[in-house]
Amino acid sequence: MILKRQVLARHLTAMLPLLSVGALFLYALWPWLPFSPRGAEPRTVIFYGFSILGEVMTEAIFPAFQESWHRRTGQSVELISAFAGSGTITNQLIMGVPADVALLSLELDARRLSDARVIPPQSWRRLPHRGVVNRTPFIILVRPGNSENIRDFADLARPGIQVVHPDPLTSGGANWALIAEYGAALRNNPAQPGAGQDLLLGIWRNVVAQAASARAARTQFENGFGDALITYEQEVLWDRARGRLQAEIVYPHSTILSEHTLVVIERNVEPQERELVDAFVAFLWSEPAQRLFVTYGFRSMNERLNEANPSFGKIADPFLIDDLGGWERAKREIVDGIWKNHVLKELGQ
Amino acid sequence: MRGTSSKVPAWRRTVFLPVGLLLFVLLPLLLLPLAAVFVFAFRGGPGAFLAALRNSDAQFALRFSLLMAFGTAAVNAVLGTFTAYVLSKYRFPGRQPLNIVVNLPVAIPTVVVGTSLLLLWGPIGLLGRLLEPVGLQPMFAPAGVLLAHLFVTFPYMLGAIKPLLDELEITYEEVAYTMGATRWQAFWYVILPALRNGLFTGALLTFAHSLGEFGATVLVSGNLRLRTQTAPLYIFAQFEAGNIANANAVAAVLALLSFVIFFFLLRYTGRPAWGRV
Repeated sequence: MILKRQVLARHLTAMLPLLSVGALFLYALWPWLPFSPRGAEPRTVIFYGFSILGEVMTEAIFPAFQESWHRRTGQSVELISAFAGSGTITNQLIMGVPADVALLSLELDARRLSDARVIPPQSWRRLPHRGVVNRTPFIILVRPGNSENIRDFADLARPGIQVVHPDPLTSGGANWALIAEYGAALRNNPAQPGAGQDLLLGIWRNVVAQAASARAARTQFENGFGDALITYEQEVLWDRARGRLQAEIVYPHSTILSEHTLVVIERNVEPQERELVDAFVAFLWSEPAQRLFVTYGFRSMNERLNEANPSFGKIADPFLIDDLGGWERAKREIVDGIWKNHVLKELGQ
Repeated sequence: MRGTSSKVPAWRRTVFLPVGLLLFVLLPLLLLPLAAVFVFAFRGGPGAFLAALRNSDAQFALRFSLLMAFGTAAVNAVLGTFTAYVLSKYRFPGRQPLNIVVNLPVAIPTVVVGTSLLLLWGPIGLLGRLLEPVGLQPMFAPAGVLLAHLFVTFPYMLGAIKPLLDELEITYEEVAYTMGATRWQAFWYVILPALRNGLFTGALLTFAHSLGEFGATVLVSGNLRLRTQTAPLYIFAQFEAGNIANANAVAAVLALLSFVIFFFLLRYTGRPAWGRV
């Protein structure tokens, strides 16, 4: 009896690795097994979005669109998505990822796509609002209590202030932040044409950490880096709405409203999915979708809807990229001309 | 040690210092970071931990990673054994350089592997450009992830098998031939059984490395949720998005899996074998 049990036990120990490997394999394969519960193969839209879109798209916009499409056609739609810095996504699109639709943080990236012949030139401008889906102003985030007494972009250039800034080479948000700083300095000091460059130099002297995306910069700030972060208002409002914000928002006197551009990658849209993709694109500007964006802290293109979110801060002197002559000019004169060729050189980077 | 008299404190004194020092060094270097993953994963209680795991993205990422690891281990078990057999049993010009080339993947940064795969198979790559019109696109699809993992983990199977083959007494094989066995029969009945431990070790190492692969995967997968996002990519994406609880739950599972794998490695082969690559 005892012997038998020992033999059995030994067999079991020998079988244990085999059994656990089998169980693991079964677990991994489960959803693809023919008998596991699964409906008909759903139709798919592949969506790439810049970093801060993660929650609003997966939690709100996608489910709402799935529901509306199901109500209209009875079909289920699957939305496959990826989120990263706007520049990273643009590079991936150029490398050929199979995206149908992409929401970029700035028009400049759309232009890079058309330069690489991924999309026809200016094709996004034929969409509603010239391709702009929503907006959000750039603000300064400081530690609770604001002990450094930061009130405006100019304060970020004070010696000793540590600034976390996303990297303009990969992050759309970082480009917006650059323009926000530069533009604000010009508008606040109309008599001094060099004010913008001086401010950029002062701020960038204080940059202690650079991250690949606005989201990553935010995570760095949350992990204790720096005294101030320049970022999208939306990012911060959404956290505050969930009681997760351990920082204070400072609204600069003058700042830019970022405009997020949608592109449709026609060559990846299969003819039979045309209608579905068009419906999804149209849905993004529909009132239900715009309301969802407002709930998640984005400012709608439809001013009337913005009243629904009382947490939107007042900005005394907001401006748009068009006030600086559009992205093409801003990129050439400010990002490359001043930031890259003067500020970075002077700081020896 | 044997020469010292049997006073107990003697060994204590000599052992205490190096062991204590080792632990002191290892604590912040290895042990505490591992502990931190589990502490953070369970900070919200087991309920929150399970909820973070039950999320469909996390489930997909884990399953997808496991399937890739199984696939990689299976393909490389065959390919690696075959390579080891050819390199060990045949003499031909260029054998030495080939031996170095097949071991290269351990030395090449994985990001470089990802980039080179993209430049070869991607839609604008050397071969990818030819495949595109046919409608084949391995990159940004599970096939691309598998290709990257096969490349990165190739030397592990080889490293586990080749030393065994090199040391294997040729006489057994010769006996088989004199008894009229074909080359295939000799391999199947004589050589393969002798490689059992090596196959086991190699497959586990390949599996473990595939499960944790990040650098090449992040480039070739396109990081698509529910399509090509592996568990390490999920962890990174969630961490970057500030959802540390989600990231940690999956990280804890991966860490646990690797503990189990190394337990098996030590238990069934008696020694870790990764140094043999």
